[in-house]
Amino acid sequence: MMQAVLTRAEQAQDILHNAVDRMQDLGAEFSDARSQTVRVTGVSSMNGDIRQLVQKSTGGVCLRAWAGGRWGYGTATSFDRDAVMRAAEQAVRNASGERKSDLVLEPATVREHRRADVRIHPDSVDLSEKIAAAQDLDRAQAVDDRIINRIGSYSEEVKTNALVNSAGSDLSWEEVRTLCRAMSVAADGQRMERYYDGPDSTLGFEVVRDADLEELGRVTAREAIETLKADRAPSGNLTVISDPMVSGLLAHEAMGHASEGDEITKRRSFLTDAVGRRVASDIITMYDNGTVRGAHGSVPFDDEGTPSSCTTIIDHGVYTGYMHSLETASQLGMRPTGNGRAENYGKRVWVRMTNTYFGPGEWDRDEIIADTKEGILCDKMVNGMEDPVGGCFEAKCLRGFLIRNGEIVKPLQSFTLTGRSVDILSSADALSKEVVLDGGMCGKGIEDWVRVSSGGPYMRARMIVGGGQ
Amino acid sequence: MSDIGYYAEKAMGAARDYGQSEVYVSEAVINTVYIDDSKISNIETKLDSGLMVRIADGGRQGKASVTLNGDSSVGECMSMAESVLRYSPESTEFKGYAQPGQARIAMPDVWDRRVEDITPEDLREMAKTLIDSCPVNIPRAQIRVSTNDCRVMNGNGVDCSHRSTLVYGHFTSMTVGEHPGEGMETYHGTHLDIDLRAIGESLARQADAAASSHEFKGSEKLSMILPPGQLGDMTNSSVVAAVNGENVKYGRSLWKDSVGQQVASDQFTVVDDPTVRAPLSCVFDDEGTPTERRTIIEDGVLRSFLRDSFCGDSTGNGMRRSSVEAQGAYERTPVIKALNVTVKPGRYTPEQIIEQTDRGIFVERFAWPEADEMTGRFGLNVRCGYIIRNGEVVDTINNALLMGNMLEAVRNIEMIGNDPRQMGVVTVPTMSFSGTELVGN
Repeated sequence: MMQAVLTRAEQAQDILHNAVDRMQDLGAEFSDARSQTVRVTGVSSMNGDIRQLVQKSTGGVCLRAWAGGRWGYGTATSFDRDAVMRAAEQAVRNASGERKSDLVLEPATVREHRRADVRIHPDSVDLSEKIAAAQDLDRAQAVDDRIINRIGSYSEEVKTNALVNSAGSDLSWEEVRTLCRAMSVAADGQRMERYYDGPDSTLGFEVVRDADLEELGRVTAREAIETLKADRAPSGNLTVISDPMVSGLLAHEAMGHASEGDEITKRRSFLTDAVGRRVASDIITMYDNGTVRGAHGSVPFDDEGTPSSCTTIIDHGVYTGYMHSLETASQLGMRPTGNGRAENYGKRVWVRMTNTYFGPGEWDRDEIIADTKEGILCDKMVNGMEDPVGGCFEAKCLRGFLIRNGEIVKPLQSFTLTGRSVDILSSADALSKEVVLDGGMCGKGIEDWVRVSSGGPYMRARMIVGGGQ
Repeated sequence: MSDIGYYAEKAMGAARDYGQSEVYVSEAVINTVYIDDSKISNIETKLDSGLMVRIADGGRQGKASVTLNGDSSVGECMSMAESVLRYSPESTEFKGYAQPGQARIAMPDVWDRRVEDITPEDLREMAKTLIDSCPVNIPRAQIRVSTNDCRVMNGNGVDCSHRSTLVYGHFTSMTVGEHPGEGMETYHGTHLDIDLRAIGESLARQADAAASSHEFKGSEKLSMILPPGQLGDMTNSSVVAAVNGENVKYGRSLWKDSVGQQVASDQFTVVDDPTVRAPLSCVFDDEGTPTERRTIIEDGVLRSFLRDSFCGDSTGNGMRRSSVEAQGAYERTPVIKALNVTVKPGRYTPEQIIEQTDRGIFVERFAWPEADEMTGRFGLNVRCGYIIRNGEVVDTINNALLMGNMLEAVRNIEMIGNDPRQMGVVTVPTMSFSGTELVGN
């Protein structure tokens, strides 16, 4: 099956060259053509029954023409030469109109063909083993009658990309993502709580074979039951120890989105003109790094063909830089950083994050807890929201623990964190040595979901806390 | 453009030998104009078509989807579905695909020929109208118009087609200066009757208000007034989630045993109404089950849940299509969705609601309006809100957390407005609720 897909990709490469030539002939100042096939296998087992078992294969070609300072896009789902040429012509028509600027894009010329760096390619694994993984995760959660809902899920995505542009780039690359997850819902009378856990990656099926699925399912269920005892979180401006997941949410929402180059060129970010300014305490260093091996947001190239890279965003508390696409890099006279990403062949390219995280500190987690007189320890995130204009953020936490006199005294229900990003990061006074990345999906505005990860160490800082009722 | 009828029939011919079989084909043409920094940044044209096949043999099921890019796509999809079926364990929950039924409502008015005929020039004109109407900067906006054709067939005799158009807009605004303010508007509809001038004016008003806001300090208990733009998603993530048949089936709904009981204020009546113009209004759902106008909550009493064929006794709410995005419908397994959940309007204007509120907050904009789907809890960052004292707006604040529980809030409704607006799959007016808490720095 893999051989057939690559063959189709190779055939598509020739059509892509012709499409780029066509767009240039029609007046594009720069153009690129990107084909993509995505194969997904998804399994979920719920309460002992298979709820979802599906294989999907999607694909198409995206043509982009740059003229007069604006983009025109054309998309075809057929790899047929005529359909692609029609989409190429449409892209140039869409780019035409009143001239917006004389901006010249300066892409690097890259010629490279890469397979995914995985130990066990999911294509080499029988579907029955993937189904069994989801069922094992489901079964392992059956530890108590109060678990009313057990979900074990497995999913894989194999994405094959090819890109040709008018600067002479000729690329193809494969991305593989594998993840499994356990989620338990516990109920006790009118109380209901949930908990989840599971690995995600740009690795292969080794992620599943290396995991202790039995332990993962059992612990997830027990934590859901434990959360039934949780109280409402206190409210106010409090000392909070964010876990790596919530630290990552802070990195992503509070500083990451505001460091995307398009927000800077529009002056929509509170970090516009902030390079060289102190924005955090000196223990804080933050990166966006698309090259972390195995991390969920890693990509060899972005969707414009720029090799991914590591951008230092904060260096010991001082703001150092932005992430860029081809367009924003040219607008600001910088180098593209490999952050021009699209959800799929049918979506626009924007400046997007990859793996965004804070660097480590010098404490152990337990030392930070023991050193905290009164505060809250976060445990897992629900979701978050950026505020690049106002410089604030919102992070919803799945649950937490109340700390008094250096000890965890009780679990807390879901709560929300907010505050001004610079105030929060400036108040950070302890980071753990341990840094963990957690994978997820990131939307920009309200859609355009791309795979990312975010993370960091356990971090102690002051934030506004509010718990729902 | 491909022929969805041809592909549907070809796939059905291949799938018919299985005990249960279903094919779903969708095709969309999507045109979008993007505005960045009050300028048109790009225009895109997308063609999207695909197929999902579901087959079952006893309790075992096979399911696969592919993008349609030629005759071989049907064979590829069947082959994948058969491969999945071979490995599939027996399911005790599977009850079969939809049974054919007679239409219960007339075809709603969900097709606008102007969408089908739209050109890049039309999109540029629409963008210019918006830009010219908004005196503050528009850092990011998009207007997306789509045609959507789909057909579902199954081995039980279901054969239904649906055509609709979708008009969706998402708009932001921003003032410049030391303390910039931001505004946001969305538009959900089926027709090109989007009032871009009104949206431009609203964006400017919101951004100016946010620019004059200041950080809230302290904490207080007060009433919450939510306009449709904020209440739509709050209602969908709480009330609609609580009546979702799958949540009920698996015990994840706090209202699972509450049919016939008072779950909300007696002012609160909610129907799912696919008979009127709304993005998901249709005669048959995406599994082929007839839809109908259904009362969910009547005078505060829970009357009905929403179900698909997986839950059994389907109410015609098994949907693959999205209310905002025509791309990729064929990839999605049917899930229970509201078609057009509508809260019965009250008699108050938003201004009258403010005038009759002693101590409250009118939320212009949350960071993201959403309640927890299981519990109804929320703790949301207020980006811009108006503090009300004795019927008057006395302050404009930002950066505070508003906390409460939506499933409790509907028991504590104070007033319901007369200004319903469609927000995706929900149509709601402005409403006020008691019993929430605001916390600041």
